[in-house]
Formats: sequence, C-alpha cells, structure tokens
Amino acid sequence: MLHIDTLTKVYRRGVRANDGISLDVAPGEVLGLLGHNGAGKTTLLGQIVGLVRPTSGRITLLGRDPVAEPAWARTACSFQPQAQAPLTGVTARQAIEIVGRLRGGGRRAVRRRTDELLAALDLGEWADQAGERLSGGVRRLTAFCMAIVEPGRLVMLDEPTNDVDPVRRRLLWEQVRALAADGHGVVLVTHNITEAERAIDRVVVLDHGRVAAAGSPATLAAGREMRLELTGADDHPAPSWSLAEHREGGRRTFTVAAADAHLAVAWAQTRATRFSLNPVSLEDVYVRLTEEVTGDAALAA
Amino acid sequence: MRHWLRSYLLLLCWSAIRLRYLLPMILVIQTMMSIGIVIGFAFLLPNVDPATALHLTTGAPTLALITIGLVLAPQLVAEAKTAGTFAYNRTLPVPRTAVLGADITTWLVAGTPGLLLGLLVAVLRFDLTLRVSWLVGPAVLLVALTATTVGFAIAYAAAPPVTNMVSQLIVFIALMFSPINFPADRLPQWLQDIHRVLPFESMARAIRESLATPPEGVSMLPFLVLAAWGAAGLAITLRVMARRD
Repeated sequence: MLHIDTLTKVYRRGVRANDGISLDVAPGEVLGLLGHNGAGKTTLLGQIVGLVRPTSGRITLLGRDPVAEPAWARTACSFQPQAQAPLTGVTARQAIEIVGRLRGGGRRAVRRRTDELLAALDLGEWADQAGERLSGGVRRLTAFCMAIVEPGRLVMLDEPTNDVDPVRRRLLWEQVRALAADGHGVVLVTHNITEAERAIDRVVVLDHGRVAAAGSPATLAAGREMRLELTGADDHPAPSWSLAEHREGGRRTFTVAAADAHLAVAWAQTRATRFSLNPVSLEDVYVRLTEEVTGDAALAA
Repeated sequence: MRHWLRSYLLLLCWSAIRLRYLLPMILVIQTMMSIGIVIGFAFLLPNVDPATALHLTTGAPTLALITIGLVLAPQLVAEAKTAGTFAYNRTLPVPRTAVLGADITTWLVAGTPGLLLGLLVAVLRFDLTLRVSWLVGPAVLLVALTATTVGFAIAYAAAPPVTNMVSQLIVFIALMFSPINFPADRLPQWLQDIHRVLPFESMARAIRESLATPPEGVSMLPFLVLAAWGAAGLAITLRVMARRD
C-alpha cells in the first residue's frame, strides 16, 4: 500500500530531518513509528500526505506518487496531525460530522459513524459542548475521530494519545485495531510505547532521521535479556547471573540473560515474597536501540 | 467541480457555525464605526458643506469594508495560524481555492449589514440625495474582494504578530491619511502621489462615484487599480496556501 524508498528531506536551513528512510506498510497493518523528539517522524508523515516536498527518494502510495499529486494524497490518506484540531466555536460532534462529509461521506452514514465513534470512545458527555471548553485529552480524541470518521485507505496518526486518560487510551487502541481489521493501513507515531505495543504489528525506530531498527515487537526483543523485579527483597549481594542491578527503595531490578532465567527464578523464590520475570518491553528495546545508535555515532565521530 | 462546490459549501457551513457568536459583535463594531465617522467627524468640521457631507457619507461604508477585509479578516487568520488551525486545514482533502472562497464569502456576508447601516445613518444625518449607478454592486463587491484578498495575503505571508501590527497601521492610515473621508487635494502632493498607487483612494472613489454619480460618469481607473491589487492579493494568498516546505 505504502512504499517508501531511500527518502531524504533536508530543510532549507540544512537540517537533515529524514536521511535515506525506506519502509513499507501493507493493507491491514499497523506500523508504529517510534523515535525521540526531532527524530524525523512528523516530517516523514508530512511528505506522505503531500505537505512537505522530499529532497530525494521516492514515495509510492496505492501505486501513485503523492509528491506529484498532493491533492489526491490528502484524499487517499486521512491524517491526524500533532497540532490540535480547530474546535473553537464548534462542538465535537459538529467537527467530526463536517470533516466526515468533507471527506466525501453521505450525511446519514457520517451521522451514524459519528455516533458510533463518540460512543466507542466514551465521549458522549462532551459531544455537544463547544470545543473551546473541552480538555486537551477530549480535544485530542475528537481530532482522532475527525481523522477516522471517513478514513482514507491509509490512516496516519501523529501522537493521538497525548493528554488522553488511560481508560480512553485503551478504547483508542481498539479503534486503531478495528481500522486495520477493515483493511486500512495505519501509521502510528507515539511515545506511549508500552501501550501501543498491543496495537502495533510492526515497528520502525527512527533516530536522527534514519531507520535505527525495524521489525515486529517480538523480533526486536528477541535474543535480548529478561528483567527480574523483586519487591521487599533483602540486601543479599547479586548472584553471578545478574548482568545489571538497579535499586529503588524496597525494589530491586536485575537484568538477566534469557538462558539464566531459571537460576534467577530459583534465587528469587528464596529471597522475596513478590517477584516477576518479564521479557524486556518494547520500550526497553527502543531506549536501548536509540542509545546504541547514538553511541555508534559518537564512536564514528 | 462537484467536489469543489461540496467542499466550498461545507467549509462555509463550518465558518458560519464557528463565527456565529462573533458575527453580531462584528456588526456592532462596524455600525459604531460608521456612525462614529459620520457623526464624530462632523464635530471636527464646523461647517459641513455638501462636498464634505458626500465624502463622509460614502467614506463610512468604504471604511466599513476596509475594517472587515484589511483588519478583522487578517487578525482572525493570524489567530488561526497561532492556534494551529491553518496547519490543520492544510491536511483536509479540499481544494485550496474552496477554502479561500469560503473564507472570502464569510467576510463579504459579515461586511454587508455594517455597510448598509453606515450608509443609512449617513443619508439620514446629512439629508443627502444620492444618484446611485448600477455600478454600485460591482464597486462594493470589488472593494470588499480587494480588501479581503490583500488582508489575507498579509496574514498568510507574514508572522501573526507582524500581521496584527500591520492591520493596526492600516486602520490608522485609512482613517487619518487617506482621501476616503475628505477630498484628495487636501493632502500634500507627495501623499497624493502615493495614494495613486495604494488602493484606499480607489476604494473610496469607486464607492463614492457609484453612489453619487458625477455628471461625467463613473471613472473606470479605480476599478482597474483595485482589480490589480485584488489579483495580487489572491495570487500571494494561493501561493502561500499551496506552499510545501
């Protein structure tokens, strides 16, 4: 559906926001785009939707070129930008319905879909309040609904969960999965990595405009260590299988090689009443990856 | 074309919902400004002769249109830019010209009641009889279009604080130093020369001559000057709207 080949964007002031990025998104797939602030995520989305002109490289969306046809790109692709949506003077329901109709939806179908979305995200009590009175989180959710009320074949969401409460964040991830189940390709930029892990099929980690890693969350974490966490443990020195130890109040955390997991569990059972052993999270992998890349860059310099 | 019209009407509907609280206030401000010019300026001038009365009468609606197009419209665009609305609207799947068309229509509609009220107050105050030409419609439309497109061009091209300052400056120049409410020959020659290029005098003349047609008929030169300014404003606005980083 979306194919990006060695895409580079250098802004006029010389900032290299994207540097040879290649990636693909298939129909029905949710691609998580991770990266620090300034890693080039928003620039990448801007190029796909025809707002930013690439310096070099090629984008193919549904077999066409969004750079040459920016007006078409905006219809094929629905986009929730990072900036808050304009809701001053309009209610959440009005804004969602108007955008739905601007995207070509029929009056009744859009009304029905708006009702469904407002219910699915539990926004009923704010649906008919003026936009300027809504909290940041509700505004963000409204913008999310505006992006998916009449979704394009590709849906791009730039940090859709900012300011959103934990319960509604889950509801939002469900809607993201529903879009994928309907065959839409989804590109999701988020810093909420731990939660997004459930909604994402594949991850691309960007670092300083380059792809630092790509793959499914499981493959990225494969071969990496596990984490043992003990609550109320004594001060017994760490055994030899411990690769690293971290202590915070009454909580001790050890990094363990996957092969030594059984040793760690056996030891933990004798030392603490509560403990857990988990594979490292996508967030841990992300932090490690970006540190590794930055470290390599420092060495190269 | 159907897509354009549909987008235009929906955007117009969006503007109407968004501005429905603001429009009555715009109407009040404009009416007060028109009344202020007609009644207030008469205080400044001890003897209002027919020529002065005519300038004040036709100057009031001209200034009403300038206030809408060159002050309020750019200030709201500047606000929209600051709030991120401008960036958001760029992502919508609608033709840029439909966005601009809807915005211009909104301001034309917003400006009409103030224009008519200003004119009514002036006619009542000075007891004038106007000789209205059929060109009054095109003249009002052209003045409103020119003011709005130039206002948009400023707001789209400049940073929001600059836009706000420039629009304040425009009110000041239009009100005090432009031959809108008084004849051009009262200004020093160099200022008269500048006003041959700036759109203010042409705006005033197009409206004045079409409302009170002189014996030699309505002059076409102001229409040409305004058309040139309007076209430049439109070109700059569309260019900025479609610009890609």
